[in-house]
Amino acid sequence: MSEKKKVKRSSHASGRRELKEIVETCEAISERKFNPFFLDVRLGVDTLRQYFHFWETFADHCLDVHTLNRLSEVVRLQNTQLKFQSSMLYADPEFIARKVDRMSEKRLAEVFLQSWHPLSEREQLTEQTLSNAIDYWNALLPISARWKRREHIDSKQPSSASNDTLIGLGIRGEEFDQQLAKLLDELRDVYKSSGDVDYWSFVRRPEYQETVHRAYLVSFLVTYDYVKLHVHEAELSLVPTDQPSGKARPSAASFPIPIPRSD
Amino acid sequence: MQDKEVAQSFYSDKLKRAIHLLLFRRGKMPGAKEWELKEKLGKNFEQVIEQLNQLLSELDLEIKKVKESSSMETMQEREIRPGDMTRYFITLKGSLGLKEAKMIGWRIDNLAALAASIAYLLSKQGKAPRDDLERLLSNKFGKWKAVTLVDVFLRTGYLEEDDAGVTSIGWRTQSEVDLKALMTKMAEVKL
Repeated sequence: MSEKKKVKRSSHASGRRELKEIVETCEAISERKFNPFFLDVRLGVDTLRQYFHFWETFADHCLDVHTLNRLSEVVRLQNTQLKFQSSMLYADPEFIARKVDRMSEKRLAEVFLQSWHPLSEREQLTEQTLSNAIDYWNALLPISARWKRREHIDSKQPSSASNDTLIGLGIRGEEFDQQLAKLLDELRDVYKSSGDVDYWSFVRRPEYQETVHRAYLVSFLVTYDYVKLHVHEAELSLVPTDQPSGKARPSAASFPIPIPRSD
Repeated sequence: MQDKEVAQSFYSDKLKRAIHLLLFRRGKMPGAKEWELKEKLGKNFEQVIEQLNQLLSELDLEIKKVKESSSMETMQEREIRPGDMTRYFITLKGSLGLKEAKMIGWRIDNLAALAASIAYLLSKQGKAPRDDLERLLSNKFGKWKAVTLVDVFLRTGYLEEDDAGVTSIGWRTQSEVDLKALMTKMAEVKL
């Protein structure tokens, strides 16, 4: 009797495991990670049949129904793929990736332009834009007051940029990607040795330009989730992310950090 | 004869109303929805649109009818689903040259990246994980630029992204790009 129970329990456990694996595979197919034909649907249905008589609890039956539902979704995707392959739009993704890799940017752009018919539209004044304009106008100081304010600002005449300036701005010299990677490595090293990294001690350098440049690079790392910026009252700290998504979060907000020259 | 003149002036009034609806942006998206046109132009709105289309064709413009549907659906699913909301846009009938594209604010590398993104998504039935798309673009444009470009295409409506990070063809691509022509041209290119 106890042997029977043991066999039933192990079948029960392995059945659950197999069904969960099928569901995971189906989910991956739905997310376009695998080709729909990667999964043998018939084998999946046979697995469902094999374990069906072991199910006793409500949760097991729910899992069974969920698996069947996911399998039907895969069948639907297989159907869609067959229709797609029979259409003119079908091309092997590998073939397209290879073409993109080998074609010059200009050639790609030319191919695109031959099939591109951009939208035409006109912009016009609306009630909202008029209301914004009135608000702006009401808040605008008279020109004499604005000129007075400008007189107090020390400004320089525009001058031509030297090679050093261009290198300093990152327009020439080391590749931007490499600069970011280097700074991230530096931050990771500091974090490994001393935990949370103080923003100012990491960013600040004797030269003001270098401080601004490092702050600029850090802002990229924070925006694209490579580094987290923690704000505790007046203190700012940086923590490198373990598994960066490399994407800007849609809900992210701007956090301006002024860099005073005197510091 | 008098009746004909009356009918024509009435018609030109409708044509004006139609071009205003199609050309001037009122909401987030350009163009006009079918029900709007029906409401403002009457039951025979399709005839008005047809006549306007003939006038616009002389200016190398045309009115395009695009079905609006959820970004979760693939290209084929869009085609088979009946009763979708329809939107009308005015688009360029012919095509632009490289110089003209630059003049309207497009960089060549951005156009190239858009072409690559659309062709890749089409080859994957209109959907692919964002990471895969970025990997494809980063081989050619560098990692950071690839991320930025995908952001730009998402913001301008050429691509769409769902909560699971799956990118798909956006409403703007549907409206502006002749997908079959693009895939044919891509296949024709000799390397």
